[in-house]
Amino acid sequence: MKKKFIAAVLAGAVMISGLSVSVMADKEKTFVYGTTGYSEEMGDAGLNPHDNYSGWSALRYGVGETLFKYNDNMEVEPWLATDYEFVDDTTVKITLRDGVKFSSGRTMDAQAVKECLENLVKVHDRAPSDMKIDYIDADGLTLTIYTTEPCPAIINYLGDPYGAIIDMEYGVQGEGGNANVAGTGPYIAEKVTPTQIDLVKNENYWGGDVKVDKVTVKSFSDGSALTAALQTGDIQGTYGLQYDNYALFDGNPEYTINSCATSRCFFGQFNFESEIMQDQNIRKAIEMGIDKEGFCSVIMEGRGLPAKAAFPDSFSYGNEAVETVSYDPEGAKKLLEESGWKDTDGDGYADKDGQKLTIDWLTYPTRLEQPKLAEYAQATLKEIGIDVVVNNTSDHMTYAADGNFDVYVSSTTTAPTGDPEYFFTSTVVGPKNYGKYENKEVTALTEKLHQAFEPEERAKLATELQQKILDDDGFFFVSHLNMGIVTKSNVKGMAAHPCDYYEITADLDVE
Amino acid sequence: MTKKKRGSSSVYRTGTDSVKIRLIVLTVLAALLLLTALCAKYICPYDPYEQNLLLAKQPPGPEHLLGTDRYGRDMFSRILIAGTTSIFSTLILVSITTVTGTFVGIICGWRGGFVDAFLMRISDLFLAFPSLVFALAVAGVLGGGVQNAVLALAVVSWPKFARLARGLTLTQKEAPYIMAARLSGSSTPALLLRHILPNIAGPVLVTAVLDIGTMMMELAGLSFLGLGVQPPAAEWGSMINEGRSLLQIAPWMSLAPGAAIFVTVLIFNLLGDTLRDYLDPEHKKKRGK
Repeated sequence: MKKKFIAAVLAGAVMISGLSVSVMADKEKTFVYGTTGYSEEMGDAGLNPHDNYSGWSALRYGVGETLFKYNDNMEVEPWLATDYEFVDDTTVKITLRDGVKFSSGRTMDAQAVKECLENLVKVHDRAPSDMKIDYIDADGLTLTIYTTEPCPAIINYLGDPYGAIIDMEYGVQGEGGNANVAGTGPYIAEKVTPTQIDLVKNENYWGGDVKVDKVTVKSFSDGSALTAALQTGDIQGTYGLQYDNYALFDGNPEYTINSCATSRCFFGQFNFESEIMQDQNIRKAIEMGIDKEGFCSVIMEGRGLPAKAAFPDSFSYGNEAVETVSYDPEGAKKLLEESGWKDTDGDGYADKDGQKLTIDWLTYPTRLEQPKLAEYAQATLKEIGIDVVVNNTSDHMTYAADGNFDVYVSSTTTAPTGDPEYFFTSTVVGPKNYGKYENKEVTALTEKLHQAFEPEERAKLATELQQKILDDDGFFFVSHLNMGIVTKSNVKGMAAHPCDYYEITADLDVE
Repeated sequence: MTKKKRGSSSVYRTGTDSVKIRLIVLTVLAALLLLTALCAKYICPYDPYEQNLLLAKQPPGPEHLLGTDRYGRDMFSRILIAGTTSIFSTLILVSITTVTGTFVGIICGWRGGFVDAFLMRISDLFLAFPSLVFALAVAGVLGGGVQNAVLALAVVSWPKFARLARGLTLTQKEAPYIMAARLSGSSTPALLLRHILPNIAGPVLVTAVLDIGTMMMELAGLSFLGLGVQPPAAEWGSMINEGRSLLQIAPWMSLAPGAAIFVTVLIFNLLGDTLRDYLDPEHKKKRGK
């Protein structure tokens, strides 16, 4: 009897708590967004722009804003700034927008921006070497940045997500994937975890009225779950839907697909500290053994374009400007033979001195097509006698940092700032060069690019640099991606952007 | 299924001969499965690992009986070749657990005392874990691969057999025929092997056969989660996972390996059931009449 009573009480409690959840949501406009682009694995969990790639999340989900932004042609436009002027090669004067407030209530002025940028170059891994900031002067709404050397791309870099302006007096609340900040954007984060962000509208947004009251950003690591969640209506919009699932939404009036070409690129780094990878013939053979066309047209369902180098066709220094090897299994086999790798024991794989030609292929699952590329390359490389062992792990950053790979395939936005320098300073000679590729000429040219002011000169250097790393077979590039946002058709004001980082903005509306 | 009460199977039994017929039919079916798995390499119509993107995601048809996957590999060939991995690794797994478990169980039942208490506490320890969760942890630490998956499941599955064999040994230990054998001077190993083992083999064998289905599912489960067989190797569990993201677009990619598991598990479970009916003492009595 007593047991029955307890059971009844418990059941009642469960029902009441269930009801209380469904009572809310009256006239409020809410939007639930599912994305595969937010996770610790991607290095962008949390909202602290001064930590790794978390600035991307601050910018993507409408919490942070930068001084400058990119338009659809990837040209720089003022955002929190209204104007800028290079006083001389190493001095740039920036005028800030009046009337902007942080969500903490503080007014954004040159002093606040100075504090933010000073902390950025103090703690961030890429920003200091990008911007070469010496010191900053703040006076009212005028910010003057002095650099240690000419830094023509500084305006572009200020538009990089790490340049999201936050209130340093409010500081960073919480750590890593839980970090919350006070930005100037249309939304304020109420709760931040590595898997979910709860946002509410910023009533005092400087850019006008924000239309949606509550936004929830949910991280998905599984593509099928993301697709199913969109179909059932658990979420109203997605980013990073797997390409082969687009067919389910294409042509369906209940959904809107918005996609656009970006500089996001699947690319591979060779590990120069691995003995077999030091042989250039092997590196070249690997690139020649990958059928990029087939991968893009069938496995990517045409939503990716074969890449020759870091930048897509839309850039003057893009694919067309450089030359690299194409898919040629026979040629690849010959190269391996030149280096003494030949199948002598008839197991289908090349060998030398009794050693089988085996390479470790490191990649990670949240970019859903990367494991498929690995499995596809496994088959095409087998044709030329290379045994590919795939290590597809969420813990890829540890493996990469420890040099525990032969080939590391990841994806990056090569020109997030509309300028070629980023890719070279971050990935080729910078902290993301996990393969320890080194070429003095490349380092010197990167330095030269860093200091070149003329756009033509920068384009020429970018072309030259790409050609050099391709000639060295230091990297290989597989595909440039179309990034897509799929939403229910009643969701308006949400569009994929070529820079891949403005997603939730003040324009977002649910009808 | 494995926990079915003894009497319940009599519902299906109409006579002693029908059990025998069922046993024969199921044994033939199981043998056919094994034979197919054994010869998969020679009978599959296409190379199960050859990718051809031009043929990707073809629905089942006369060219490709079960369609093709996203890399254009023939599903039918892959299912056949995966059968080799799935069926034989399960059989190896069940053999390992049966032999180890029975061995430990007989020793415990026979010796009693400290050895019994010690080994049984260890087995209690393993029985206390939910087996798949523990196997996940083991496979997680040791890394993926079919060998590690088999090892992981073997580690958690042997206590069942140890318990069973121990209990059966205890019932036989004091039986008059054992006394007689002892009096006639049989050594302990001879006693265990010649007298105890044959007398407890029936229930152990039935449990082992019934276990094949469960183990196959668990092995497939580990592969489904990416901890078992590694790509590109074909295995039913991992094939279901590969097709999962295309369930709405190319359902055959998951349904075909799913059906393969279903049929195989069904055959082995029915075989186990029937074997039990056949070895059932009650049933034996009837046969004797």
